[in-house]
Amino acid sequence: MQQPKLKSTVQCTDREVGEVTKVIVDPITKEVSHIVVGNGAGEPGRQVPMAQVQAVTDGTVQLRTASTDLAQFPLLKRDEYVTIDEVEIAHLEDHLHVEPGEVLIPLPELERNVKRRTFFANLTHAIGALVALPLAFPVLKYLMKPMYAPLDNHWIKIGSANKIKAEDVGVQFKFKKKFKEAFMPEAEIDKNIWVLKASPAVLEQVYKGKDQIFLDATGREVWINKQSVPYVAYSGKCPHLGCGYKWRAHKVLGQVFLCPCHLSIYDASGKVLDGPAPRPLDTLPIRVTGNGDIEVIDMEFKAGKKEQVRIV
Amino acid sequence: MSGQPTALEKILAFVDERVGLKHLQAKMLNEPVPGGSRWAYVFGSVLLFIFIMQAVTGILLMFYYVPSADHAYASTQYIIHEVDYGWFLLSYHFWGSSAMVVMVFAHMSQVFLWGAYKKPREMIWLVGLALFGIVMGFGFTGYLLPWDQRAYWATTVGVEIMDKTPIVGDFMARFLKGGPTPGQMTLSRFFVIHVMILPATLMGLAGLHIFLFRKAGPAGPFRGSVEELKAKTDYFFPRQIWKDMVAMGAVFFTICSLAFIEPVVLLEEATPDPGEYHPEPEWYFLFLFQLLRLKIFSGEFGQFLGAIAIPGAFMALLAALPFIDRSPERNIFKRPVALVGWILVMAGILMFTVSAIINREFLD
Repeated sequence: MQQPKLKSTVQCTDREVGEVTKVIVDPITKEVSHIVVGNGAGEPGRQVPMAQVQAVTDGTVQLRTASTDLAQFPLLKRDEYVTIDEVEIAHLEDHLHVEPGEVLIPLPELERNVKRRTFFANLTHAIGALVALPLAFPVLKYLMKPMYAPLDNHWIKIGSANKIKAEDVGVQFKFKKKFKEAFMPEAEIDKNIWVLKASPAVLEQVYKGKDQIFLDATGREVWINKQSVPYVAYSGKCPHLGCGYKWRAHKVLGQVFLCPCHLSIYDASGKVLDGPAPRPLDTLPIRVTGNGDIEVIDMEFKAGKKEQVRIV
Repeated sequence: MSGQPTALEKILAFVDERVGLKHLQAKMLNEPVPGGSRWAYVFGSVLLFIFIMQAVTGILLMFYYVPSADHAYASTQYIIHEVDYGWFLLSYHFWGSSAMVVMVFAHMSQVFLWGAYKKPREMIWLVGLALFGIVMGFGFTGYLLPWDQRAYWATTVGVEIMDKTPIVGDFMARFLKGGPTPGQMTLSRFFVIHVMILPATLMGLAGLHIFLFRKAGPAGPFRGSVEELKAKTDYFFPRQIWKDMVAMGAVFFTICSLAFIEPVVLLEEATPDPGEYHPEPEWYFLFLFQLLRLKIFSGEFGQFLGAIAIPGAFMALLAALPFIDRSPERNIFKRPVALVGWILVMAGILMFTVSAIINREFLD
């Protein structure tokens, strides 16, 4: 059955009784639940449930009751209702077809040419693209400026070898590294490196019979760590996820390098004993000058990779 | 006292005529809540309240904070120790971020348990997930700004984790750091993301979230006949708004109390040497932190699995949820997989968080 429209004439079984002045909608089902029948005499109208409606045709609503029984239906209490403009019920409008016909507004003369509308829509997008596309590359380059800094192969003096008293014991060397970034004034940052005076056994584990060659980005040789030199330097950055590890006692494993972040454990030769680390500690180029100073190239490698990927 | 309107009424009428305030207000307040207002529905409003307070306190902090590697730490210390009530505003902002995460979990759990992500509300759920990501992004970027050791190391590890994303990882990590290692460029980038990009995105998406919510209407309880629901239905105003306000008041009081009891204290200034500090992320990332300590997530592949693949797959599963779970049944007690899944995830997060805390003592 179609929905009763506003202003439709209301017919009882015997005679015409008035018109539909309002409709009441169920907020849950979103269907018309009642019509309000007004007789034009100024009273608020009677609230008739849809169950009493027998048929709806264009312009008329046929009720099942006789006109004499209409008085049994309650008068509309307007205070107990709000209009659909005063409440927000999702998709309510989609369900309602109660207006007596469409309300029309004439389309302006100039808007009746569909081709021009399409043309203007396309032109709008084209101009948008014309503004955005040439900007994309400059903006990307602008943001990428500091991302790929060249690798730094400077030797840094980190301290005296005299500081190391015993073999196969991790000794932390803290040092200041000069640091110049973009527009910032040159600053010094604290860094640390672990140095080991290795026994021949540990040295063998570190070098496995081969000198260690360090290359720069172009594949040119930067330095060779000779296996005959007993000093081994480890980057202070844990190869798991880049935290700083410590040399400390472990209940079962003895003296080890232990990272407090994710509990990776390495022995004196840098080998992973336990924990999630994917590769051994990173050895650095090291040399000892004539007067006993230790110098290193403070390389950094990407954490979390099986292979060393140098980033600094 | 006759029918003459007062000056105030005249002004209101003037504005209303031009803006349509009364109509707007009616539309905003008269939203039927099927089955009636409930305490379970307060989380969305509370999140909006927390966000507004974060914006207000964040703006106030920017009056003194300087986002540069040589001033960030000193300016934050200045806020804490010198500026009147600076310690309070900073601590409120700090604890507010924790409250935000707690409420996001509560809000998502409520929607999940009530089955309110189902048709026709799939898009509200999807936008909500994006908002969840933004809240996490706020936490991550904001954490760096004080530039103390805690900040530096959480960022170092966090960005290393992102680096493990296949193909784009290296670019993403370098893009965020603005170089190979964390420094001034990282601070600048995190700052602009934290105070500009994320707030703008959040406001846009939260607006869309609420618009879509209004478009679909509230889901209401997951049981009860149409007649029962109709009998209990009331409008957003006043009962639901009253409950929302009580909840906001309680959250405000809690955050203030935490700010008083545990005000923010900075560690040493950030530097690539951690010294005696044991790096640890903010508590809501602790479970992930602890997860990465597990043996099964060791090695390069294990790390990818634990740090990227599993969290990524979990988020993808949440996003696909309304499209996988197409049954209209919303009663959580008739959705055993959903109920058990929720309990397992919550228990897992709780377990890993607690074990991370227990591990702390073990390290000292």
